[in-house]
Amino acid sequence: MNIADELRELGQGIVSESLGQVSLQISAEEVLSVAKSLKTNPAIKMNMLLDLCGVDYLYYGVESWQTEGACHQSYCRARAEPLSENSVWTGARFQVVCHLLSITHNQRMRLKVDLDDSVSMPSLSGVWPSSVWYEREAFDLFGIQFKQHPDLRRILTDYGFVGFPMRKDFPLVGRVEMRYDSQSAQCVYDPVSIEYQSHVPRMIRNDHRYVDVGEESGERA
Amino acid sequence: MAKEHSYTINFGPQHPAAHGVLRLLITLEGETVQSIDPHIGLLHRGTEKLMEHKTYLQSGGYFDRFCYVSMMANEHAYVMALEKMLAIKVPERAEYIRVLFAEITRLMNHLIWLGAYGLDLGAMSVFLYCFRDRDDLLAMYEAASGARMHANYFRVGGVWRDLPHTMPKYQSSSWKSKKKLADLNADRQGSLLDFIESFIERFPGRIDDYETLLTDNRIWKQRTQGVGVVSKERAMSLGFTGHMLRSTGVAWDLRKTQPYSVYDKLTFDVPVGVNGDCYDRYIIRIAEMRESVKIMKQCVDWLREHPGPILADAPKVVPPSRDHMKDNMEAMIHHFKLHTEGFSLPRGEVYSAVEHPKGEFGVYIVSDGANMPYRIKVRAAGFPHLAAISELCKGHLLADVVTILSSLDIVLGEVDR
Amino acid sequence: MAKGLDVNDIIVPKGYTVTSLDDLVSWARGSSMWPVSFGLACCAVEMMHAAASKHDIDRFGWGLYRGSPRQSDVIIVAGTLCNKMAGAFRQTYDSMPQPTWVISMGSCANGGGYYHYSYSVVRGCDRIIPVDVYVPGCPPTAQALVYGIMQLMMKVKYAKQWERDRL
Repeated sequence: MNIADELRELGQGIVSESLGQVSLQISAEEVLSVAKSLKTNPAIKMNMLLDLCGVDYLYYGVESWQTEGACHQSYCRARAEPLSENSVWTGARFQVVCHLLSITHNQRMRLKVDLDDSVSMPSLSGVWPSSVWYEREAFDLFGIQFKQHPDLRRILTDYGFVGFPMRKDFPLVGRVEMRYDSQSAQCVYDPVSIEYQSHVPRMIRNDHRYVDVGEESGERA
Repeated sequence: MAKEHSYTINFGPQHPAAHGVLRLLITLEGETVQSIDPHIGLLHRGTEKLMEHKTYLQSGGYFDRFCYVSMMANEHAYVMALEKMLAIKVPERAEYIRVLFAEITRLMNHLIWLGAYGLDLGAMSVFLYCFRDRDDLLAMYEAASGARMHANYFRVGGVWRDLPHTMPKYQSSSWKSKKKLADLNADRQGSLLDFIESFIERFPGRIDDYETLLTDNRIWKQRTQGVGVVSKERAMSLGFTGHMLRSTGVAWDLRKTQPYSVYDKLTFDVPVGVNGDCYDRYIIRIAEMRESVKIMKQCVDWLREHPGPILADAPKVVPPSRDHMKDNMEAMIHHFKLHTEGFSLPRGEVYSAVEHPKGEFGVYIVSDGANMPYRIKVRAAGFPHLAAISELCKGHLLADVVTILSSLDIVLGEVDR
Repeated sequence: MAKGLDVNDIIVPKGYTVTSLDDLVSWARGSSMWPVSFGLACCAVEMMHAAASKHDIDRFGWGLYRGSPRQSDVIIVAGTLCNKMAGAFRQTYDSMPQPTWVISMGSCANGGGYYHYSYSVVRGCDRIIPVDVYVPGCPPTAQALVYGIMQLMMKVKYAKQWERDRL
């Protein structure tokens, strides 16, 4: 019996399979009980948590160029600020994605946790101790609160950093930049002086030359 | 009697044994470590965010810079993820070239690790010997890709170009005698494969040299045996992979257990340890180097006999050759599109992992159908290893912190990303 | 000294005079520079290669990498300088005895390079400390670093002229 059937037998969440990789999508309330049964159920036995990361679906499916119609010279194409209204994503904005591995059965799976507006979920550190730092990272970069986490501090960004940099509404160049101030003899932050410049816009091509692998992640625009 | 208080010392970020920019706050009682609070992120470059703003081709170079001592192993995970999404079949020759270079990369990583490990424990000569051999490996990188370190050689659908038929040679100058020049160029007369083969012939002897210096060295054993011990169950629950897991006796190597590329056609063994201490990790890596040389030998023999294409026939993703591009309109259009807008991935998500020299290196890509990743997460092998340092060092002496830190083999480029 | 010019005319406004002893000191200083071992990122690997067997910058008197900035003359900024690191980096520089020399190695240290637009990267280490020699490349090869080192040696050896031009 393969892992997808075992997960369906578990009876919690939505099981999907794409590219030979099995995903289980659950809500934040049931995450602890599901995680425990994933680890202890002898037919699944996910004994390792390899990875845990946040995903922010705010601008999912939003292009950076917009064509509103043809003008007399050419198409009126302009670089547009991404707007969350244009997103094709219908689910929760934040998701926590864990990659699990069972050494016993040589199987992998993905555990996707939908977060509600409180952007929080129970910590998995009681089930898989390796998640402690990954949760700190997800907290640092996305601002996801992990309840009952032993040590929820920022981990990657600077001491005293403001904001959650991997959220989609955080600018790539940041809000501050650093320089050395000889008057006060220390490194100080100034408001950022540059703008991001890219000559390659974000484009979505609705061509059908590929196999569509991810029907579960929303409708095509 | 007055109560003894523990005190905290600061290690790094500028410390010769910190392996880059790592800061450890070590709480000591006397000279015994109570706990360690690692402060990472001093090399947090925001790569994942940058990649969300770059096309898939432009992002390839970032993967070299994650773990900057094993460049092509990182690229391998990335191109495999993209190929899985795009359902591209890579030509067999390209797969063998990839495996060949993945193993060269493994040697590069292990050599710099061994050199730095020896240096941290006071063995200077190992460092010099290791770097002598590592320079030959860099020459192989340079001959194949043009860059000594950040090669960006693995591309979607294959590799950037075929292996060259000539090796670059040293030029004559007034500083070098004719004999010296001939010596330097002695193994550079043939193709790159000849150069690699001559390396394969001499390298096992070099490994013996390192072993002579270290393996039975009493100081080395005293510094490493029984230090940083981790049990099998604990290693799994802490998310250890690679040599950290194998040192506890779990024969887990993705090249064997979940074979990718052409590893299932090659014969090699997976060394495992017994005690899970720093000495076992050293022994495992020495044995891994010998296995890598075996794999390289098989790849070289196969590549000599099987010429063929090195890029998949997928014009919408793989750029055309220069010649073809210049006299074919269709190829010209493809070339222009690929190098301006890039190719788009279908909507969906994928996770792909390789047995990186340090453990499992995984890439998780979420695509919304655009020419850039929507979210890309890199599963760094060293991240969970470093997270466990407090547990590994607890109860050991301060001097053992350096031993354990070295044996973990972390590179801050991939830990901090 | 020009004819008819009193030595006091030079010493009083400047506070010192230049003699040929300076040449000797500059030569000695330039031929035995001790870098602080300060690897930030990828470039550190090439810096190690420059110090190791093949390229061996000990030939130029540079091989002795010191663990402590107090014992060093030169700092090679090898890699991306991030915001979190900048304070510690400046502190390392400030701990070095004068005169201090700086080589900025690689495009990240020169101006941010591949990571220029990142929210957490200092866009060039010259925003934090003054730089003497910039070595381009990503990463510069060990040979390029050796060339940069030779440039800095020239600069140190002719420091007298540099100082005079600045006054």
